[in-house]
Amino acid sequence: MIRSDDARREILRAIRENLARSSPPDPLSATRRGSSPPDPLSTSWRGGTKGEDRSPSPEGRGGQGVRSRFTEQLAAVGARCTPVCGEADAARAVARILTDAGARRVVGSDAPVVQQLLRALGDGFVVDSVDRVSRDELFRCDAGVTTAQWGIAETGTLVLESGRERSRLLSLVPPVHVALLSPGCICESLGDALARVSPASHAITFITGPSRTSDIELTIVTGVHGPQAVHVLLLEEE
Amino acid sequence: MARSFERNARAALADGQLRGALRDATTLFGERRRAAMATLPDWEGARERARAIKDETLLHLDRYLEQFTANARRAGARVHWAEDAAQACQIIGRIAEEGGARTVVKSKSMASEEIHLNAALAGRGIEPVETDLGEYIIQLAGETPSHIVVPAIHKTKGQIAALFAEKLGIEPSDDAALLTAAARQALRRRFAEAELGVSGVNFAVAETGTIVILENEGNARLTTSLPRTHVALMGIEKVIPRFADLEVFLQLLPRSGTGQVLTAYVSLITGAKRRPADEGPEALEIVVLDNGRSRMLASAVTRGSLACIRCGACLNACPVYRQIGGHAYGSVYPGPIGAVLSPQLFGMARSSELPFASSLCGACRDVCPVKIDIPALLLHLRAQVVHTRVGERRLLERLAFRGYAAVMARPRLFEWVMRAARMLRILPPLGAWTRFRDLRPLAPRSFREEWRTRLRHEAAP
Amino acid sequence: MRISLFVTCLADQLWPAAAVGAVEVLRAVGCDVEFDARQTCCGQPAFNTGYRPEACALARRLIEIFESSGADAIVSPSGSCTAMVHHYEQLFEDAGWRARARALAERTHELSSFLVNRLGVEDVGASFPGRLTWHDACHGLRDLGVRDEPRRLLRHVRGAELVELPPASAETCCGFGGTFSVKYPEISVAILDEKVEAIERAGVGAVVSGDAGCLMQIGGRLSRRGSSVRALHLAEVLASRGSSGPHGP
Repeated sequence: MIRSDDARREILRAIRENLARSSPPDPLSATRRGSSPPDPLSTSWRGGTKGEDRSPSPEGRGGQGVRSRFTEQLAAVGARCTPVCGEADAARAVARILTDAGARRVVGSDAPVVQQLLRALGDGFVVDSVDRVSRDELFRCDAGVTTAQWGIAETGTLVLESGRERSRLLSLVPPVHVALLSPGCICESLGDALARVSPASHAITFITGPSRTSDIELTIVTGVHGPQAVHVLLLEEE
Repeated sequence: MARSFERNARAALADGQLRGALRDATTLFGERRRAAMATLPDWEGARERARAIKDETLLHLDRYLEQFTANARRAGARVHWAEDAAQACQIIGRIAEEGGARTVVKSKSMASEEIHLNAALAGRGIEPVETDLGEYIIQLAGETPSHIVVPAIHKTKGQIAALFAEKLGIEPSDDAALLTAAARQALRRRFAEAELGVSGVNFAVAETGTIVILENEGNARLTTSLPRTHVALMGIEKVIPRFADLEVFLQLLPRSGTGQVLTAYVSLITGAKRRPADEGPEALEIVVLDNGRSRMLASAVTRGSLACIRCGACLNACPVYRQIGGHAYGSVYPGPIGAVLSPQLFGMARSSELPFASSLCGACRDVCPVKIDIPALLLHLRAQVVHTRVGERRLLERLAFRGYAAVMARPRLFEWVMRAARMLRILPPLGAWTRFRDLRPLAPRSFREEWRTRLRHEAAP
Repeated sequence: MRISLFVTCLADQLWPAAAVGAVEVLRAVGCDVEFDARQTCCGQPAFNTGYRPEACALARRLIEIFESSGADAIVSPSGSCTAMVHHYEQLFEDAGWRARARALAERTHELSSFLVNRLGVEDVGASFPGRLTWHDACHGLRDLGVRDEPRRLLRHVRGAELVELPPASAETCCGFGGTFSVKYPEISVAILDEKVEAIERAGVGAVVSGDAGCLMQIGGRLSRRGSSVRALHLAEVLASRGSSGPHGP
C-alpha cells in the first residue's frame, strides 16, 4: 500500500529524529537516584512465583511437586481437576461431568484421544466432531472436549496450540470445556511454557479458569463470553 | 475549554453515588493488587526488568518495529502504518468496506477510542459493536469510559439493569449474573454475523511477529477468531524485543491491573492461519499507530510515558482520581497516566489543566509496574505549560511568582513583608483556602525573631 | 556535632514552633545549632507550579548559603523541603552546579531521619501525655523513605500512646500538594476529609506530622469541623518536656 509505505517512512524518521534529539544520554537518567539503567541481559531477576524454586526440579516436568501445584492453582482459579486412569475411567469421568452440567450435545476436537474417548461415552449424548459441525451447530452445543498441549503449574493454566489441534473455538464457544492433559506436559512456570510453545502455531491460547468479569459493581460473574466451566482430566499412566 | 477539568471535577464531587462507587472500586483493586503482589517473590526485581526491557526497546524503537513488521508479514499478516488518528481510521474503514463489513465487533482497545474509530465506522454506515461488557454498557448508555480497566465503574447495578431493560427488553434485575447473561445473549449473535473484528494489542513481539492480547471475558478471543478479518490496532510503543520477555509482563500486568495472577485468557497470535481449512480469520491486518507517540522519544523524561502497559494501577492508587473518577479528565486516558499522556498525545492546549490536577503525592509512581516517574513527568509538563504560555493566562500567578522570587532573594525584604503581614493580619489570596479550612493565625513571632531574641544565645540543656 | 538549621519558609513564618522545637531537640541530644539568617525559601513552590527559572535562582542561592557553612550537617524540620534540596541536581544542566547540588544534598537531612539514622538516637528525653497518631507526609515518605524513624522517636516519648491509622489511611495524601490546595480546593478537601475522618475515628488527642504544609491542611480542616484534635509537628512533641504539652503557638 503506497500510502502506508509513506507513513512507515515518516514514522520511522520521526522516531529516529526524536531519539537523536535525546542523546547524548540524558544526564538525568544516569544520575537518577544514583543508579545507572540496568542492562536487561544482566539483570539477576529470576521469575517464578512464591514457593517456586526456579532451578529445574529434580523430578522434571510432571513431577509430584509440579502436579500438586498445578491442581492447587486450577482450583484457585475455579477450574476442576479429575485424575483418570485409562480410557474407560476417562469416559466415565467425562460422562459424569457432562451429566452434572446438563450437557447433551458434545463436540470433540480432531485429537485422536478425544475422538476415541467420545466414542466410548455411551448413550444419552449426541457426539460430533469439530471437523463436521457447522458454526451454528457449534454455537448450539453444550460442551467442547479438547486436549491441552501444556499445563502451567505456577498459574493453573492450560496451553492450546492451534498448530497441534483444532481446539480454538471448542475451548471458547460452548459453555463447558473439558480438556485432557498428560501430567508429563505440565510446565512449572510461564517462562517454561513460553520456551516450549512454538509461534509456528498461528494461535496459542493460555486458558486460566472460566470466562469472567467484574464490570458490574465489581461482582465476579463467570461464563461471560467464554465457557463457564472448565474441567481438566489428568491422564495418568496405567 | 481550559477550565473544563475544574467544572467536571466539581460535578463529579457533587455526585455522591459516583464517589461511593469510586471509593469502593479503588479500595478493592488496591487490596487485590497488594495480595497479588505478595505471590511474586521478587516484585521489585520484576519491575526493574520490565522497565529495562521497555527502555531498551524505546531506545531502538525503529529497529524493533521493523523487526516486528518483517516477522508479522512473514507469518502472513498485513502491516499498515498510520501517522495519526485520521490515517488509522482511513485504513481500518477501507479494510472494512473492502471486506463488505456491515457490522464490526470490537474488543477492548484504548487506541481505538483514542482515534475515535467508532464514529469513523459509523460515518461509513458500518455498525461498531463493543463486546467487552463494561464497554458494551457504556456504548448502550452513550457515554465514555471512566476507567481504563473497568470502564463502567461509575454505574450501579440498578442503572445497568434499567439500561438493559430499556435497550435489550429484559426484566430489570439486580442479579449481576442475569444481567451478564443478557449481554452474553445479545452479543453472541453479533459475534457470529460480524465480518470484521477489531482488537487492541497488549504486546507485540518483534522476534516472532506475535501480537498478544490479555482478557477475562472471552470477547477478544471471539472477536479475533470468528470474523473473516481481524484488525489489530497497536500504538508503536507496544512492541517488546523477545518472546521470552513476555514472562515478566504477564506476571506484572494482571497483578497490577486487577489483582489476578493471570487473566482468564492470553491469546498469542502470529500472522494469519497457515491453511484455509484452519480455524480463525482469513486475514490479519495490523495497524501500527503513531499519533504523537514518536514525539515523546525526544527526552528521557517524556520517553518514560511510553513504557505504560495500561494496567490502571495508578488510577486506583491516586487520591485525586479516587474522588473525581475518569470523566473529569475529559480524555480517553484518565488518572495519573492520563494527565501525562493526554497533553502529549492531544496537545497541551486541550489538556493544560491536567498536569496541575495532582498533589504530587507519588502513590502512582509507587504502584507503576514499569516504574514510570509520573510526578517528574507532571512537573516537566507544568514547566512546559508555564514556559510556553499555553492555556489560561495566569496573569496574577505570574505576577505573584515574580514578586515571590524578588522577595525571597532578599532576606531583609522577606522579613519586612512578613512583619507587615503580621501587623496587618493579612495573608494572600486565600478564599480558596478559607472556604473549607481555617487558616492558622500568624504566630506573634517568626522563628528568626525567636532565634535572634533568645534561641541563639541559649546553650544546649 | 555542628548543625546548620534549614528552617524552611513555612516553618519560619507559619509554624515557628516546629523550628523552635527542632533546635531544642538537636541541642538536647548534644548538637550545636547555628542559623544562617540569609536563607529564605528553597524554591519548592515555584518548582512545583512550573516556574523553573525562579526555582533555579532560589536553588542557587540556597546552595551558596549552605556551602559557606562549615557545619557537619544541615537539618530541616520538613520532609518536602529536604526532598526539594535532594532534587536540586535535576534543575541544572551545568556540571558544576550539579556537583554542588549533589554535595549539598548529601549533607542535608530531614530531622527524624537525622536523629535516628545519623545520630543513632531514638529517645530524646521527651514527654507528652496522650494518644496521638502519625500522618506520613508524602515527600518524606516516598522521596526520602522516612517511615520508621518518626515512629521510633514517638514510641520513646514518655506518656505518649502512638495509635496508628489503618495503613491505607496513614500513607494516603492529605490533599495539600502546595499550590494544589488552592488551585483545586474542592478536590483537595475531598481528599482531606477521608484523612480527617480516619483521624477522628482513631480517638486521639493529636495528629503529628513532619511537614508544616500537611499540618496546616489537616489542622485547618479539623478546627473548621470543630474537632478537638490538635495538629502538632513532630519537633513540637519531641521538644515537649512536661504535662502541659509543647510550648509555642
